[in-house]
Amino acid sequence: MTQQSSKNAFNPAISLILNGTWGRFGDDPSTRITGFAPSGGEVIPGRGGSLGESELFLSGNIDPYFRGALLAALTPENTVEVEEAFFETLALGKGFTAKGGRFFSGVGYFNQVHPHAWDFADPSLVQNAFLGRNYGDDGAQLRWVAPLPVLVQFGVELGRGREFPGAGEVERNRNGAESQVYFANVGGDIGVSNAYQVGASHLRQRTATDGSAFLDYDDITGTSNLFQGRQRIDGLNFVYKWSPDGNPKYRNFKFVTEWFQRRYDGDFTFDTTGVAATDAMNAKQSGWYAQAIYQFMPYWRVGGRYDRLSHGNVGLNANAANLTPPDFDPTRYSVMLDWSPSEYSRIRLQFNRDRSRQDLASGEAITDNQLFLQYIFSLGAHGAHRF
Amino acid sequence: MKSRIKLLLAALSLLIAGTAHAAIDVFACSPEWGALTGEIAGNRATVFVATTALQDIHRIQARPSLIARARTAALVICTGADLEVGWMSMVQSQSGNDRIQVGKPGFLEVANFVPRIDIPGSVDRALGDVHPLGNPHIQFGPKQIQLAAEELTRRLVRIDPAGEGEYRARLTDFTSRWSAATQRWLQLGAPLKGITVIQHHKNFSYLFDFLGMRQVGSLEPKPGVEPTSAHLSDLVEQQKVEPAKLIVRASYQSPAASEWLAQRIKVPAVMLPATVGGSEGAKDLFSLYDDCIRRLLTALPG
Repeated sequence: MTQQSSKNAFNPAISLILNGTWGRFGDDPSTRITGFAPSGGEVIPGRGGSLGESELFLSGNIDPYFRGALLAALTPENTVEVEEAFFETLALGKGFTAKGGRFFSGVGYFNQVHPHAWDFADPSLVQNAFLGRNYGDDGAQLRWVAPLPVLVQFGVELGRGREFPGAGEVERNRNGAESQVYFANVGGDIGVSNAYQVGASHLRQRTATDGSAFLDYDDITGTSNLFQGRQRIDGLNFVYKWSPDGNPKYRNFKFVTEWFQRRYDGDFTFDTTGVAATDAMNAKQSGWYAQAIYQFMPYWRVGGRYDRLSHGNVGLNANAANLTPPDFDPTRYSVMLDWSPSEYSRIRLQFNRDRSRQDLASGEAITDNQLFLQYIFSLGAHGAHRF
Repeated sequence: MKSRIKLLLAALSLLIAGTAHAAIDVFACSPEWGALTGEIAGNRATVFVATTALQDIHRIQARPSLIARARTAALVICTGADLEVGWMSMVQSQSGNDRIQVGKPGFLEVANFVPRIDIPGSVDRALGDVHPLGNPHIQFGPKQIQLAAEELTRRLVRIDPAGEGEYRARLTDFTSRWSAATQRWLQLGAPLKGITVIQHHKNFSYLFDFLGMRQVGSLEPKPGVEPTSAHLSDLVEQQKVEPAKLIVRASYQSPAASEWLAQRIKVPAVMLPATVGGSEGAKDLFSLYDDCIRRLLTALPG
């Protein structure tokens, strides 16, 4: 029974994630998904070798009442981003947990998963288009777990709407909670080999006073366009995991599917060199993906994913004369193979057949074959992962 | 009418009696701690066991069902020493249960209260998934189990003071049965003294120490790393210098590597239950030891 007595016995758990990608694209990877508002948080590894974000994660119990965590991303552009910095209660009891600060929202399933734990080198198209890489906010979250033998969890978040979809070019300057998220999860086991979780979530925001850009026309026509009003995102997700006798060591299987729908209700301003036209806008767009990952022997996993976005209805009223609403459904197929010689290292090869961008001249999808070779290494404390 | 009131009263008194004796919920990370809780708490506790002897406890995930069960637990009993590091902290932080957080009487990590072997002098991930706090597979140390039973009793008394008399009486009874069994196992296992053994992972080091057996190698080249053909060849070579008499693996480990080596070096390969429930015979802590020793004796050549 060795007793730790040194000063660093109270240091928080520290882990460092290193990752990098070698990418090969047919088309320019910086071109955005056609027909969907740019989220600004898109993660597309560049052409050739590119360093990913190095993540530094510190966490620990503050005292018997709170725990705290910081996730800082050191970007390849030599900046530091605070991705998450939050405290969480330990002592509320009765199934309640409160969280405050900056954190990844409970909307959807993959939104809370950090990039190093993703099953593919890039996020799903719908995650990219509707929520950015990981949608986070500055605010507070309250969760409650019901006292039942199966997991029944409810959560609510209030925030300032710091990020896309509601954020604009100018920082928000309003009192109150501009952004709200509600979520519910139900999960359990079926026998000893199967586990599942079903979730539903709802996000609502008002745009910042200066509105937010709507479609990706800025680059194309040299005009600016702006949406002001209310945005809502509804999401449903389902996760299923299997392993023989519940032992994932040798073989295991994971299936995830998520669906999101986004609605806009407000005013749209189309501005060509100072001549602004404003009219009501109502839009409804949706998207989903499904992915399956199979570990067929220790260290080796193979996976496939299908992505689809639906351009839906974009009602622009008078502005329909200025802008053609999108008429294109982006899709993508991905397959990957990864090798993890230990819990701390992973090397992944991924191929995407991407048809998420439209050739505006012909109206046809541009088929872009993309290849990624990625490494993810983690040093330091062994973290506990979400289901 | 009268009989109906009587019935109602009877039902009511049953309900009250039910609440007065309401069992506390205990979340056991693995079957050995579930079994130990059964020994000490009897009917005063309803035990949920989070894993089975066919699962590698290093690799469990924070499944929704575990979070749900941890939500209502008055006591979580785990091995500790980082064995559950990949999932327990997530279960705790997701459960919303203040009673089972680190530092509370309702969170018992047994390894903190027992002597541990194999504490490494230096740690580096290049050495594999080493446990800086020592070998966490303490369920095979009779002394460790006794100490665990004592600490568990202290915790149960703090959490459920009304049951103090019962817990203490059960501990006394368990202690005398365990100490008698320990003597019996030493006699039963006497032929195993000095026997050399190769094990898959260091699951049974406490048992081998107790029986005076000598461990001369592991199938894993480094802790947590699956056997490689290069390492197995090294073990074949090593057989000439320091021959092993037995090859042992745990119930959740693939038999491929131990059987390959067994054929090569003409030594029996034995599967031992990793914990309670890992074999037909291992029904509780006592029969777990009985079954392990019997399996080793049966396999012993000559």
